[in-house]
This record gives sequence, structure tokens and C-alpha cells, in this order.
Amino acid sequence: MGVILKLSGADMLMRALHDEGVELIFGYPGGAALHIYDAIFRQDKIDHILVRHEQGATHAADGYARATGKPGVVLVTSGPGATNAITGIATAFMDSIPMVVISGQVASHLIGTDAFQETDMIGISRPVVKHSYTVFDAQDIPKIIKEAFYVATSGRPGPVVIDIPKDMTAPDKLYDYEYPEKANIRSYNPPIEPEQNQIERAVAAIISANKPVIYAGGGAIASNAFKELFELNEILDAPITNTLMGLGIYPATHKRFLGMLGMHGTYQANMAMHNADLIIAIGARFDDRITNNPSKFSPDAKIIHLDVDHSSVSKIIEADIAVFGQVKNSLEAIIKTLKNNLDDYDSKRLKPWHSQIAEWRSSHGLNYELYKDESDNNSILPQAVVQHVYNITKGEAYVTSDVGQHQMFAAQYYHFDKPRKWINSGGLGTMGFGLPAAMGVKFAFPNEEVVCITGEGSIQMCIQELSTCFQYNLPIKIININNEALGMVKQWQDMNYGGRHSESTYQNSLPDFIKLAESYGHVGIKIEKNSELKESLEKAFSMKDKLVFVDVYVDPSEHVYPMLVANDSLENMWLSKDKKT
Amino acid sequence: MIKRKLIMIMENKPGALVRVVGLFHQRGYNIETLHVDPVTDFSRYKFIEEKLETKFKENEISRLTITTFVSDSLMRQILRQLNKLIDVIAVSNEETTYLKGVLLDENLL
Repeated sequence: MGVILKLSGADMLMRALHDEGVELIFGYPGGAALHIYDAIFRQDKIDHILVRHEQGATHAADGYARATGKPGVVLVTSGPGATNAITGIATAFMDSIPMVVISGQVASHLIGTDAFQETDMIGISRPVVKHSYTVFDAQDIPKIIKEAFYVATSGRPGPVVIDIPKDMTAPDKLYDYEYPEKANIRSYNPPIEPEQNQIERAVAAIISANKPVIYAGGGAIASNAFKELFELNEILDAPITNTLMGLGIYPATHKRFLGMLGMHGTYQANMAMHNADLIIAIGARFDDRITNNPSKFSPDAKIIHLDVDHSSVSKIIEADIAVFGQVKNSLEAIIKTLKNNLDDYDSKRLKPWHSQIAEWRSSHGLNYELYKDESDNNSILPQAVVQHVYNITKGEAYVTSDVGQHQMFAAQYYHFDKPRKWINSGGLGTMGFGLPAAMGVKFAFPNEEVVCITGEGSIQMCIQELSTCFQYNLPIKIININNEALGMVKQWQDMNYGGRHSESTYQNSLPDFIKLAESYGHVGIKIEKNSELKESLEKAFSMKDKLVFVDVYVDPSEHVYPMLVANDSLENMWLSKDKKT
Repeated sequence: MIKRKLIMIMENKPGALVRVVGLFHQRGYNIETLHVDPVTDFSRYKFIEEKLETKFKENEISRLTITTFVSDSLMRQILRQLNKLIDVIAVSNEETTYLKGVLLDENLL
């Protein structure tokens, strides 16, 4: 650095984003952001992607962030531009995804006057951001950008909003530009290294456990702890389960992997959690989809909880040993201490535990009670669609999903061996996330296969982004698992409301998705029979340079199982429509 | 449920107070009383200045006192949530203090 330039606020903003390493912005222009958009036009370092709705911009930036680990960047205008972005900001907040959202604001002298397109963005976004900034003095723009990226990416990551009144970016006022090398926020100090005494307590508990389970979540992915987690379990030889957010942080095809746990987790994962004597929670937060009834959760287990966020530990389930720090660093410390005590660690003692788990696995594995007859006498099962997609893509695709039954089928039947490949809205459960998130992933990795597994309900919530996909030539594969109903809502209505399908079907009003895809310039393929399924999916994936919208009609009566019995322990599950554990 | 007192030292920045108040609402806690003052006598907070490697200037930090009716476990959760707010420098209850994200076993405020 050291070079001082005279720049306008808008030019400083673009220059600062470039100096921060930003390559891509997802956004939508409007009055209060026009000075910034002019600055975008006059530079060539950063690409701007024009979406069709601000929600699409935030989800695309989110997908980009989840796949790359780098913060996603969004630019929107004031008022409706800002409010449209809120759902995507909340989605990123619930899943701790680093994101910086820049919103235009009406000029300073108009704030508070109910000016055209004025809204209190800082106020509206406050509960769903990690932090936010208003630019009161254009000279502060470089410093605020530096701080915003630091806050968004450090500690427990999350979205940060920067609200910029229009006069702060005016072209006629120039400022000395210098980008700070380091953010210095005196009141902010996220933990990195764990305390050694906690590590020693954790290792002692690990050494004495006979029925340990590793339970790893999205925090382990955020901390890029794949290698460390794998190395730890090469020593421990413990069964391991991942949350919906954690899928891929441990290879799903590994023999120690139990599958996902929780609401729609596998039989063996939930049984192992319930019967464990030690749970090693790694970057996971014991949310209600995991614990079910907290007072009945894993009655005999001691809990070791590794997390970067103090407030996530002992919030729902009391931790016996709390290890605060970056999960990666905490795992490294545990491995080091364990290696110094290797004589005390005998993984052979876990043999009875492994045989018990093998028994659970074979009695109610995931394919339990799925059809064996794939003739056209049967409707296509949604699980089979995911299995075929998994086989065709050799398990190596980036898979985004929306929310509902198709999301759970994707999580259960696409086996992720690497982190950051499974991109879904776990915490907020945002329908409409899948397609724009897939765009973000495709921009980050143009040569990789990107699949959006969605449903006819979710896809219609952000379907306008098909137009963006055409503009930027994004050959995503959209697998629309079409059961002509809001499947998960319907499943709950079947199970808990006497089969009264209140407002969960569309009365034959669905669009012709094939024509719809074609009118956006893409290819549409319809699949209605089992005999067409494999071949038509292969055809879709063979069109490398086309976005293909595959509309697969599946059995509308299918439910997602296993499913935890409401408000009970993890060992009580529905295994099929008429069978409980 | 017992009436408890929380004390906070925070950056005196626009929107900082509403983050604290909003957090109580968002997490379902109730505020009984609230008192805010700019800190003028920095001599009491020398240890914070040392920890932060900074020198406070006039009108730069505020002291907040909040009373609320909560259980022990909820009190701990509130402290941890407040500690997460970027503008909060230190927060304490009767027994503990979070100072710049680090938990200390006494009420220093």
C-alpha cells in the first residue's frame, strides 16, 4: 500500500472491494445505488452479476461462499432492494455463512423523512446480521469495508450489512484513499486457540469412553477442519455422524460413517447417539432437529463440545467439557495431546460398540422397505431419482437443494465424501434457495458439475433466476422432484392432521416446466416412468453446455423416513408409514 | 427467577444500544430497568484500557445497567449473547465478566 489516491466514495468502495480480494458481486441496481453502479461500469477488476430479484443475489452469494469458503458479496439498492435481500441474509445468518451486503440508502439529509425508497435497513436487518455499519463519512469507507470482511469471516462467520447513503458515494467529492492492512476492532476478539486444560480433560474423557460418537456439524466445515477430523478419527476409530449442515466433513462412504442424524437421520445414527456414553460435538449446536426432546436426549452421554461460539455451548444440552476456539485448532490440539497418550488409548475396546452399530445398520438401513420392482407398474420413487443422480455424477457434483422432502432425500441418498459440496439452507429452511445458490457455485467453479435438487414448490419461489442463468450461460442441472404437492407439509398433514391436506396441493395449476425452461432459453426434459428415469437423466447430464430442467414426476404419497417421533428421544422413530421402533 | 443486574461497557456508537435492547426481545428475555450513561471517569476502567491496548476518549464509551428476572442458566446465555455483540467491550453479572470475549471469574464492572 502506501499509495494515496484521490477517489470518490463509490470509487473507493470498488477499489476497497478489489483490495480485499473480491472478484464477484451479485446485485441489482436502483436509485440509491446508482453512483456505485457507475463506479462498477468504470472499472474492470470485479465482475457484477445481475440477478432478477435481490433474494436471488443473496442466495447466489451464499452459495458462492459455502462452496469456496470466501465471503459472498451483494449489492442492492435502498427500500425494496434492501428488504428483498433480507430472506437471503437471514438464511446466511442461521447457517453462519460469511457474506457482506452493501445496500444503497437515501441521501443523508433525507433519512427519516419517509423519502422515496427509504427504509431503515440497519433496523430491519439487525436481528439477522452478525454486525452492521452505516457510512456517515465517506472517508471511512475503506476502513468499514476492511472491518466488515474481518467480522464476516472470523470467529463464527455471518452476514454483515453496510448501509451507504447516496451522498457518500457522490462523484463530485474526492477523498484520500488508502486501504488498511488490518482490521482493528478493539472490542472484538473471537477465540482461536483452545485452553490446554480443557483439551486434557477432553482427551481423558475420550480415553475412558466405551461408546463414543463423533457428531460434527457446519462449524467444522466453516473451520475447514476436514483433514484434522479425519486424522483424529484414524486414531479414535469412533463411529461418526454429521448434521444436515455438516454433510461432507467426513467421507460419507467411509465405514465409520453412520449417515446424518436427527429428525430424518438414519436409524443407526440416532440409535448410536441415544446409546452413546460420550458425544464429541464438533462445530454443531444441538438444535431442535437434532435433539428432539432435550430432556430425553442421550441420557448416558458425557458431552464434549468444541465450538468457536460461547453462546452455542450449553444453550440446549449442557456440555461436560467445553472447548472454545477454532474447531480446526481445537482438533489439532486434541490430536497432539492424544498422540502423547497413545499407550492409554486402545481402540479395540470399541469392538462391542461397533458390532452393536453394525447390527443397527443392517436391521434398518436407508434402503429399508423401498421398492424392489422398478417396472412401470410403480411410480418413480423420489429416493431413486437421487440415487441415479448420485451414480451418474459419481458422487462428485456440487449439490444444492431447496427445502422439503426432496432436501431430505438428497441429504440421505447423495453421499458426500468432501465438504462444501452440499449446499442447503439448514437453519432457516428457505424455499427458493436452491437455484440461485447453484448459480453462485457455478460462478465459483465453472468446470464442475452443479446440480440443484429441488421440488415444484421451492423452484417456483426463485424461478426468475432461470433468466440470469441464460444471460451468463450457466449449465446447471435442475432436478425437479415433482410430486405435485408441498410434500413435507403433506407428510405432516398425513401423520398429524388426519390426512387433511390443507392448502398443500395446487389444484392442477402447475406450469408446464418444460415449456417454461424452453422459454427461458434452456432445455426441458420430462420423466414420468421408471423405465425412462436412468436414460433421461443420463441424457440431461450429457448436455454439458446447457442448463437442463428435468421435471420428474414421482410417487406423491411417498414420505421421508426415518422420522423422529415428536417430542421424544432419538431412539423413537417412524421407520415407515406403519412401523415404529 | 431472581432479579439480576447486568453491567456493560460498550462503544458509544449509533445503533449500539438498540442491538442490546433488540437482543433481549429477540431471545425472549425481558428488561425490567435500563440505565445508560456516557463514561466520563475512565480511572475505574484502566484495566479495560490495558486489556484493549487503547486510551478511551471522552464520549467514546457508555456504561449500561440492565435489571432482568431470569434463571441461572438463562443468565449465562444472556451474558454469552451480549458478549457476542461487536460493540460490547465488557459485560458482567454478579459473578463473572466477559472482557473482550474472554470469560473471567469475577464481576469487574
